[in-house]
Order: sequence, then C-alpha cells, then structure tokens
Amino acid sequence: MLGLTGSLSAFAEARFPKPDFTSGYEYPDIFHGLPYEQFWNVLDIVLLVGMMSLVVWAAYRKRSRSIILSMSVVSVLYFGFFRSGCVCSVGSIQNVVTAAVDSSYHLPLYVLLIFLLPIIFAMLFGRVFCSGVCPLGALQELVNVRNFRLSRAVSATLSMIPWVYLAFTILYAATRSQFLICRFDPFVGIFRLGGDVGMIVFGVALLVMSVFIGRPFCQFLCPYGAVLSVFSSLSWRFGKKSKPQLEITDKGCINCALCGMSCPVDAIQAPQNSKTSEERRKGVKRIILMAVLLPLLTLGGAMLVGQNSDALSLAHKDVYLYELLLQQQANPDMEEPLEVETFNAMGGNMDELKAKVDDVKSDYSFYAYLAGGLIGFVIGFKLLKLSLKRGRKTYEIDSARCTMCGKCFNYCPQNLKNKIK
Amino acid sequence: MDKDKLKSPMDRRDFLRTCGSLIAGGVTLAAGGWLASRTGGTLADGSDAEGDVFWQIDPFKCTQCGRCETDCVLPVSAVKCFHANKVCGYCDLCGGYYRPSVKDLNTAAENLMCPTGAITRKFVEEPYFEYAIDEDLCNGCGKCVKGCTSFGNGSLFLQIQQDLCQQCNECKIARVCPSDAIQRVSSKNAYKLKDHA
Repeated sequence: MLGLTGSLSAFAEARFPKPDFTSGYEYPDIFHGLPYEQFWNVLDIVLLVGMMSLVVWAAYRKRSRSIILSMSVVSVLYFGFFRSGCVCSVGSIQNVVTAAVDSSYHLPLYVLLIFLLPIIFAMLFGRVFCSGVCPLGALQELVNVRNFRLSRAVSATLSMIPWVYLAFTILYAATRSQFLICRFDPFVGIFRLGGDVGMIVFGVALLVMSVFIGRPFCQFLCPYGAVLSVFSSLSWRFGKKSKPQLEITDKGCINCALCGMSCPVDAIQAPQNSKTSEERRKGVKRIILMAVLLPLLTLGGAMLVGQNSDALSLAHKDVYLYELLLQQQANPDMEEPLEVETFNAMGGNMDELKAKVDDVKSDYSFYAYLAGGLIGFVIGFKLLKLSLKRGRKTYEIDSARCTMCGKCFNYCPQNLKNKIK
Repeated sequence: MDKDKLKSPMDRRDFLRTCGSLIAGGVTLAAGGWLASRTGGTLADGSDAEGDVFWQIDPFKCTQCGRCETDCVLPVSAVKCFHANKVCGYCDLCGGYYRPSVKDLNTAAENLMCPTGAITRKFVEEPYFEYAIDEDLCNGCGKCVKGCTSFGNGSLFLQIQQDLCQQCNECKIARVCPSDAIQRVSSKNAYKLKDHA
C-alpha cells in the first residue's frame, strides 16, 4: 500500500472525474500561512552586530557587568525564545562546511554572516559573541550562581571535547550525512518549549550543572567556542605590546587574586615566575619531546579515525539504507524496515544505490583521516602549550578562554575605587 | 640598551603573535570572500536560490509513512494535510474521509479516517461534498492522504505549514524521511501544492 509513487498518484488524478457543478459552486480560495519575512533576518544581523558592539563597549570602556547581563537577557529572549534558536552561529559551522565542499548547496548570505561576524569580532576584541550575544551562553550565564572549580587537569582534558565534537561535525557535514550540532543542541528544546525527551533531559541537566559550574556547555562542548578561542588568542592587540587584550582594570593590578577566584571559566592566569625551579635542560627536553609528539599524535589520530571510516559512514542515510537492504537480502524472513519497504515500493535500483554508497564511502575515508588528524593535532598542541611556562607579573586574562562575562570587573578592588569615591 | 631590547624573548613572542594574527586575519578574509562567492547554489527543484530557503514536502514523492507526525520538533507537527479542491472529485464515499471498511456513510467515529476529526465536509449539491481540513486539529499523520491517494484523486496531501515551521537548520523529519521528499524551496515558491497538477 505504501507504494503510491509520483507517477502512480499523478495517474490516479483521473480516477474520479472533476465534478460539473450546476449550482454555481466556486472553488474556495485557500490561503496558506507565509513563512517569516526577510525582515527578521535583517533584524537578526543588525542585532548581532549591535549587541556585540555594545558588549565591546561595556567590557573595554565601561568595565560593566550589568550591561553584559542585560544583553544576555535580550539574547535569551530574542535569539532564544522569540527566534527559537535557529539558525545560530554554532550550527552555521555545518552550513559553511557543507557549502565549502558542495557547490550545489545553497548557503544564504544571512547564514554566512551569522557565521563570520562573531569570528571577525573575536579577531578584533575576543570572544564577544560568547559573552552576552549567543543565547546558549547567555542562558547558562543567567542561571550561574556558584563556581565550583574543576582541577586544571580535569578541565584541560574536558576542553578537548569541543575539538572532537568539531572534528566529527565537520566529518558529518562534509559528507552530507547529518548536522550533529543541531541534533545534540541542548537548549533548543528549552527555547521551543518542547522537544524529544533526550534533548530536554540533556538541556536541563546542563542548566542545573551551570548553576554550580560556569558555562559547562561553552567550556566543554561548544565547537564554535573552540573556533572562536583560536581567533581570539590570535587577535590584534590594542595598546601595549605583549599585554592581554582585555584588562581587568586600568588602574594597575595589585595582585589581590579576587578576579581569579571570580572567573567562572577559569580564564584568569595568576602571576608566576618565569624562572622555575626546573632545570633548563629538563624543560628544553620536554618541549622537544612534545614537539616530536605533535606530528605523531596527528598521524595517530588520522589513522585511528580513518581506519574506522566505514563504520562511521553508517551515519549517512544511503549507506544505512544499503546496509539494511543487505541484511534484508541475507535474511528474507526479517520484518521489512520502513526504509527498505519504501525503497522497494519506489522501485529503487540496488546498483544505483551501490554506486552512491561507494561515493559516500570514499568521501568518508578522506574526511575521516582529516577529522582524526585534527583531533590528534589539537591534543598534541595542547600538550605542547601546557609544557610551556610563561612568566607573568600580574593577573591576566587568557583571551582564548575568556567569555567576557564581566564578573572580574566587579570583583576588582581597583575598579571599585571610583565608585566608592 | 637597544640591542638588549631587540634580543629579548618578548619581542620574538610579539613577532610570532603578529604573524599569527596576520595569518588568521588573511585566512578569515580569504575564506569569507570565497564563501560569499558560493552563497548562490541551486535548490532541489532546479530553481536558483535567492535569499532564505524554506522546508517543503514534495507531495509526489511522499509515501505517508507517518513520520511527519512523530518526528517534527514541535509538540504538534508543522506538517498538515492540505486539500487541493481543484483535484478533488467531491465524492460522497471519500477514501480520505471514511475508513476502507465503512458500512454506513455517517459521521460516527468508527467510520471516519481522521483520528482527530480534523476533516469536515459540507454538502454542495447532489452528489457532491466539499471537504476541508481544520488545521488546528490536524496532526499530520497522513492517514487520510494515504486513503485519498489509494482510493481517490490524490487531492489530499501532506505539506509543511510555513507559519508553523521553525525552519530548523536541518529539518528533523527530512533526516528520517524514507523517500527524501523534504527539500528546500525559495521564498518565491514557498509552497509545493498540487493545485496546478
């Protein structure tokens, strides 16, 4: 019964003749609701740029958390609940990757801007977007009460997850399989006030976590945050050389450590002596070891993921269907899955499907090596970075991690001086 | 004094950082420009995509598998049954309105196909009835569509109601649709209807 395909149903249209009405009956006019207008997309872009600029002003000039917090409220209400969270910059990675590998894919300019603008701002000012403009970050920021600090080792390990997530996102987007980020978006269910159980449970669990730990999604999951952190750490410096981009206070740090304790994402680095007790030779040896390990890890990662590309390719619809068909052929008594039933009913050709599947699989083997290489490289680079010790005289913001929530501004006694006067 | 300054590692670090910034900036600009040149693209229906794009079901590919009802991200699916009056035969014994085994043509619930009572009909003239869908009640299960397509003119069809659709970046129903019937269309032709068939 399933198999009433296009040609059949077109044929079926003559099954009953058109009625010839004698009572002067007229066909009713049917109006279908129109999609939202272009206007909202323009407003999205305007608000995106406007809010990011406001956050820059609030952080660099005013050092005010309250402006950033009010931006968060606006973002959650507008980008989150009103615009229901789609398309977001985080998810736009996938559209951009797909458009980059497949020229027939339609990438609206609006989506490209949503992807690029936060990166451009990150290059100039740091992760402004994460601060109070991204609805996912803003939602976590608004519920955050306490900051239980994870140990450095744990958070360094967990901070690798966004890169793994990003690598697999690119793999699945480049092979046109699925949009991983959209599928596991924790908060979109909350913004839409509904969704499947897994999504809601995941979202609520993360929200409860973010009451006690600052922005768990941003720190340990968000792949776009990982991209922004790279651009942020390479961003242009304003003012003095070798100074962090954003300063906690302009009145001179007194090394009181209050800001370091206030930071929800552990982005404030304490002062340390560059001359460690370690022997120079030992340090050099370790850095050389890490530098050797970097290409090895890259290669190892590429091999590990690349070798499993066939298993990974099951995420693609056609490969999955082909696998189901093979199972069906091997075991004809099995109950036909819906996919197989539809494929047969529509007169699908096994050889054509096989050709498609082979194409997909060869794509997979290429991109799986790439994704694995990326994961290995990032882990190697992190190890190398951890083994470097830089001297610092005052408390400084690590621009790669800082999500510009503005908490430290309020904790800094130097900043409070003016207000008390 | 100046010589010492030049040799200090801080300058090297600044130099490397500037190089990094330049590379990152260059890459961003180049990638942005290149991607901007690819913002065109063609849609599945062969038309050039302009501006935003919207999800639609190709009614001629749809097999009424029932996943539209269960897989949409909305609590009640944005997929609704549409009715192409110009294709309809206005029959009394309607394959979309009545269940196949119906004995009496009356509106008793056991006779009716629609589980939510979303199909209403109005007598026009002997022997014709006009059918209409109450979209607030319709849940997009497609039972009537299947009935109408197998015993009828196929005037009932499932379609995504654009003012309900959230325009997810990846349509969740499209991902599980067994016949790949869900595609993107441009805002100019926001609906794929059967009227002009």
